[in-house]
Amino acid sequence: MSYALQTLWHERTRYASGVLAVTFSAVLIALQCGLLLGLFKITSIPVDNTTADLWVGSTAVSSVDLGKPIPNSYISRVAGLPGVKMPEQYIANFANFFKPTGGTELCFLLGSLLDDGTSGAATLLSKEQREALTMPYAIVVDESDVKRLSLDSKDGEPKINGKKVHLIGTVKGLKSLAAPWVFCSLHTARQLMGQMLPPDHVTYLLARCDSPQRAKEVASELRAQYPDDMVAYTAEDFSFRSRMYWLTRTKAGLAIGYAALLGLIVGAVITAQTLYSATAANAKEFAILLALGIPRWRISLMVITQSFWVGIIGIAIAYPVCVGLRSIAMQFNTDVDMRWEILAGTATITVGMALIAGTLALRSVKQIEPMNLLR
Amino acid sequence: MPATTTTPSLQGVKLVKTYGDGDARRTTLHEVTIDLFPGELVLLMGPSGSGKSTLLAVLSGLLEPDSGQVMAEDDGRLREVWQLTPKEREEYRRRNTGFVFQGYNLFPALTARQQLEIVLKWGSGATSGEARQRADDMLDKLGLAKNKSKKPAQLSGGEKQRVAIGRALVKNPNFVFADEPTSALDWENGQKVIELLRDAAHERKASILVVSHDHRILPFVDVYYHLEDGHLERRPLAAHH
Repeated sequence: MSYALQTLWHERTRYASGVLAVTFSAVLIALQCGLLLGLFKITSIPVDNTTADLWVGSTAVSSVDLGKPIPNSYISRVAGLPGVKMPEQYIANFANFFKPTGGTELCFLLGSLLDDGTSGAATLLSKEQREALTMPYAIVVDESDVKRLSLDSKDGEPKINGKKVHLIGTVKGLKSLAAPWVFCSLHTARQLMGQMLPPDHVTYLLARCDSPQRAKEVASELRAQYPDDMVAYTAEDFSFRSRMYWLTRTKAGLAIGYAALLGLIVGAVITAQTLYSATAANAKEFAILLALGIPRWRISLMVITQSFWVGIIGIAIAYPVCVGLRSIAMQFNTDVDMRWEILAGTATITVGMALIAGTLALRSVKQIEPMNLLR
Repeated sequence: MPATTTTPSLQGVKLVKTYGDGDARRTTLHEVTIDLFPGELVLLMGPSGSGKSTLLAVLSGLLEPDSGQVMAEDDGRLREVWQLTPKEREEYRRRNTGFVFQGYNLFPALTARQQLEIVLKWGSGATSGEARQRADDMLDKLGLAKNKSKKPAQLSGGEKQRVAIGRALVKNPNFVFADEPTSALDWENGQKVIELLRDAAHERKASILVVSHDHRILPFVDVYYHLEDGHLERRPLAAHH
């Protein structure tokens, strides 16, 4: 065990506040980022819950809910490309939902083909639901939106864009942020949109590819070939773009950034102070080493090494705390996206913070003078 | 008995050190000249505030004098310690000097062995194996064979001071400076400590300068200096032996 680590363990009560400060910062950053990503996953639900590899839409579409109509004829641009299966039409549009009890809500219509083997139908729909959705004006919504849309009411009739619809079932896990997602067949969607969707137009063309790699190649080929009137993304890219759009558009990312920065500053100050006082407490022992001709940088290196271990131990404690808090959040139906990138990023940032704190604490090493040992 | 060598290994020549300004100006060292020879245990006594610790600091390369020279044997040649650059002086101290202080100043987290190893690893660039061997040998000689893995909190005051002496001696320095090494100890332990320092001087041919108030250590030293009001005087030992 290194001298730095040994000292840390021996004087663990002294270093505890620094370690806990790192833990606090790491948990704060990881949970905030996880919560935010979890929240904004909702914005890419249509993309994440289909089996399509390729999405083709209107030029520069920033998010799946912002697609403008494109001509059906674009199918010919995609169909027949090597490694690409037959493209499917997909309608994704905002619509007015008239609640059976009165009042309206904005909803988001998602109309797809529903046959076995097609890629546009939400993967959470059961086979029975897909069959039932082939009936005209049949819809499915998430169970969390039933009450909001008053679909639990026995009285009245729900309508979308003035046309009567009927709920044939609900799904769980396709929650909405603003406008509830309404799943239906491509035909129903077209009927409900009426004049609002030009004839022979759809919002997206979806296709499966032989491999994710092929999807990437096709997407970039299509983008290069038709830069002016359409765009193509892999499902993964489009999902990410949709989340990032809303993350930046709503400035939520900025708010989270500030909160995380605050957490980091608090963590850094406490850690620096802990290391400073711990080093000052050993000033006489270090002074002996300086008197013996041991260079000051050796002592500085020990302080920096200690700060590194404070960071590592803080993160080691933060990890189970994050996992625990995440499972508590999940019980309240709040998704915390703890992907490895967040954990790795948090670990890097907080260890970096601990090292900066160590550097700040070095001023205590500068103050050590062997002469102070002599009275 | 001390080794009889005619060439001093460390010389302080006309050392002057003053503190303060104006009316508060006080001269601590008045052209003090002192020779330390290899293999000698030298005692420096004097009343409080007489400048003993200042002289020790000037001779050991920790405190720069206002004037005068400190000539020290380093790598077989005589060098003027205060003409060296700070970096050179640090290297000089690394090669040549050991220190023992009244407060043992041992790292609370480290074992007795590690207190010595750290000096060899960080100072002399010794490998872990080499540092361990040399630390163990030194602790054996100091009668601390059973305490190698103990931390300071598990050691008595005498044992702690012996570990501190081990730390000063483990790199085999030419000069050892001890400031009140026995004053925190009872006489039984104090005697052991001064005997160890004397043996180190005689066996290792080191020059050891001890600053102390403790008259009981006079019978153990080879040379006795008295410093008062900044003036140094060598005194005979016979009366005390």
